[in-house]
Amino acid sequence: MEIALIGNPNTGKTSLFNNLTGSYAYVGNWSGVTVEKKVGVFKNNIGQLIDLPGVYTLNPLSKDEGVVTSYFLNEAVDRLLNILDASQLERNLHLTLQLLEFEKPALIGLNMIDVANKRGIQIDASKLSKILGVPVVPVVARNGKGCDKLVDVIATKSIQPANKNLVCYGQAVESAIAAITGEMTAKTNHSTRFLAIQYIEGNEYVRNYVNHIADQQKLTSILEELESQLLNQYDTKSLANFIYTKRKEVIEKIVAEVARKGDATIPLSEKIDSIVTNRYLGLPIFLLLMYFMFMLTFDWLGTPLSDALDGLLTGPVTSGIESALGAIHASAFIHALILEGLVAGVGGVLVFVPQIFILFFFISLLEDSGYMARVALVMDRIMESVGLNGKAFIPMIIGFGCNVPGIMAARTIETPRERLLTVLLTPLMSCSARLPVYALFVGAFFAGHKAFIVLSLYVLGIVMVLILAKIFSSTVLKSETSLFVIELPPYRLPQFQSLWRSTWDKGKGFVRKAGTFIFAGSVIIWLLSYAGPGGLEVDMDDSFLAAIGNVIAPIFAPIGFGTWQAAASLITGFLAKEAIISTMNIIYFVPNDASLQALLADFYTPLSAYSFMVFILLYIPCLATVATIYKETNSKKWTAFSMIYAFVIAYVLALIIYQGGRLIGLV
Amino acid sequence: MFESLKMGDKGKIIDISRVGKLVQRRLLDLGITEGSEVCVKCVMPFGGPVMIESCGQCVGIRRKEAVQIEVVRL
Ligand SMILES: Nc1nc2c(ncn2[C@@H]2O[C@H](COP(=O)(O)OP(=O)(O)OP(=O)(O)O)[C@@H](O)[C@H]2O)c(=O)[nH]1
Ligand SMILES: [Mg+2]
Repeated sequence: MEIALIGNPNTGKTSLFNNLTGSYAYVGNWSGVTVEKKVGVFKNNIGQLIDLPGVYTLNPLSKDEGVVTSYFLNEAVDRLLNILDASQLERNLHLTLQLLEFEKPALIGLNMIDVANKRGIQIDASKLSKILGVPVVPVVARNGKGCDKLVDVIATKSIQPANKNLVCYGQAVESAIAAITGEMTAKTNHSTRFLAIQYIEGNEYVRNYVNHIADQQKLTSILEELESQLLNQYDTKSLANFIYTKRKEVIEKIVAEVARKGDATIPLSEKIDSIVTNRYLGLPIFLLLMYFMFMLTFDWLGTPLSDALDGLLTGPVTSGIESALGAIHASAFIHALILEGLVAGVGGVLVFVPQIFILFFFISLLEDSGYMARVALVMDRIMESVGLNGKAFIPMIIGFGCNVPGIMAARTIETPRERLLTVLLTPLMSCSARLPVYALFVGAFFAGHKAFIVLSLYVLGIVMVLILAKIFSSTVLKSETSLFVIELPPYRLPQFQSLWRSTWDKGKGFVRKAGTFIFAGSVIIWLLSYAGPGGLEVDMDDSFLAAIGNVIAPIFAPIGFGTWQAAASLITGFLAKEAIISTMNIIYFVPNDASLQALLADFYTPLSAYSFMVFILLYIPCLATVATIYKETNSKKWTAFSMIYAFVIAYVLALIIYQGGRLIGLV
Repeated sequence: MFESLKMGDKGKIIDISRVGKLVQRRLLDLGITEGSEVCVKCVMPFGGPVMIESCGQCVGIRRKEAVQIEVVRL
């Protein structure tokens, strides 16, 4: 049995999905968190549950909404589980009415009962169920209240909707519906009434579908006739508006019957809002928060933790492994492979786990509290001036964690041009995999101003986004249309448990990658550094790795780091940015106590170190990101463009910094 | 005109047809259309967006769109 979760954005569909399937999918307090269909299996194995992006109606505007409509049209769904936000019943019911027209077995989960109660709204679920003709189960998806009941109802009851045609659209529309359904009889498995109504409403996906199965010309003439008739007869702007009004009338009646409104307490939300979206304080507060986040990650908390972990790895762990290897009489080759390859390569990345988790914790906090949409609002003025809109800032903040989900999040941006621009520019956001590089280099060269230097890199990324957005939107991606309407959800106090889960879920990927990708990569890199044209166990400068690095190293000489070591790590960095660090750890392998940081001083100056960090920040997105860009843009041209422009910008900027710095006497 | 409203003022929308088509459609999705009561919650500086509230829900839209919405003060 396949059950699809459908509902308005930010009503708690994914929270419920996680609860019912025991999985962890992406939850956040803004509209458009889920952008892809996701399949899970019910805990008690009664079937598959499918999580979908949130939609207001089945007539899509943006790409994530289109996912739902094409799911409806192209895939066989057994049951619909419609999630309603009890505190926003009227708006939510517009979708419910459309779903019921689809005439598939359906049931309703009435979510956010707690929020509704707090606002003084009481909803009579059994009355609602009687009116709509489908079961209605009150739930609180956040803490799982009512979920057992919901599963029981899903599993047992036959839930074919009892009441047909809840909305009567008036004589003119109804006869057009009859004419259109007549054209489609026996040509489709879907409800023809549903298709006809959506067709009249102007749903592009449905129009395409219907035009394939029925006579396009006849349908168009029916539609035109209806349109002229309605516009003459009634005071209405468009067919879609007329249908909306008809639904609204029905909804108002339903709500009047099932909902009671009592006294509400003034929501905390409004008080917070008067501060964080304050005219003048909004932007400074955001910057202050970012600064606080960096201090905590790189200075106050993260660095001491990472140092402690480093001490543990290079001290007890290494000597433990050493004595274990000694005990089993491992060969010198194995010995070197494990200690100089794996421990250096994988361990070098794992050391940064504390810092990465702190960063992810902050991002999760931003996501779950409801602040994210406010940031979009605060940033819109700046973004508008460079041809983007405030919503584009959400993918970019997510990109601070990892660029891949950031790029996916751009799906909620309605206009194709702004969406493409966001996809192209999100890779300039400094993701967590680049963080180890900064942490290593600031530790070695800028010990006094760690957080400040790192912050400067993040800000540089944002500034480059703004500049490039301006350039691209006035040259290659010219267009006037821009759309900015954003729903600002009420603040929700994040629960520690869900915060931890979402932090862990993001950080897990980093740890897993260290155990798999970086593990394998470290072995290969070590082998390349161990073997050379001259045989095995060569001096590293004569190894294959050095030979490869030397080919492209001269390119980097003008920007301050023309060594084969830097070149080799930049190549591996294309595969995954963390690989830069593991490669460096292997190349500059230092036995036990001497640290890599001390050794780096022989190869870099502070100026070339900064130039190196800037280059890492901007140069070619990693392989996974490139693949995602290709998937999202569906264009080889734009994918290539995203790689090339990034490389050029990185090089030019590093050149300006390095050569300019030398001119004014920096070293 | 929306311009006549200041922070904290309440009004009722009487005409929304001059707003861009896409924005109109999105506002309709959110239940904001002719006849809706709205309240201006906050106005961002430098011609930035405004935050309006309707039926207990807050929505941010751009200033240039907001001024196209015809409202009467309540
Ligand atoms: N108070 C309360 N909060 C809830 C409840 N259910 C979900 N939430 C919160 O609502 C927010 C949105 O939850 P999601 O599960 O991401 O919503 P969604 O419907 O999947 O959203 P989209 O994917 O954007 O369409 C999160 O911050 C949840 O913690 C509930 O029953 N009560
Ligand atoms: Mg979701």
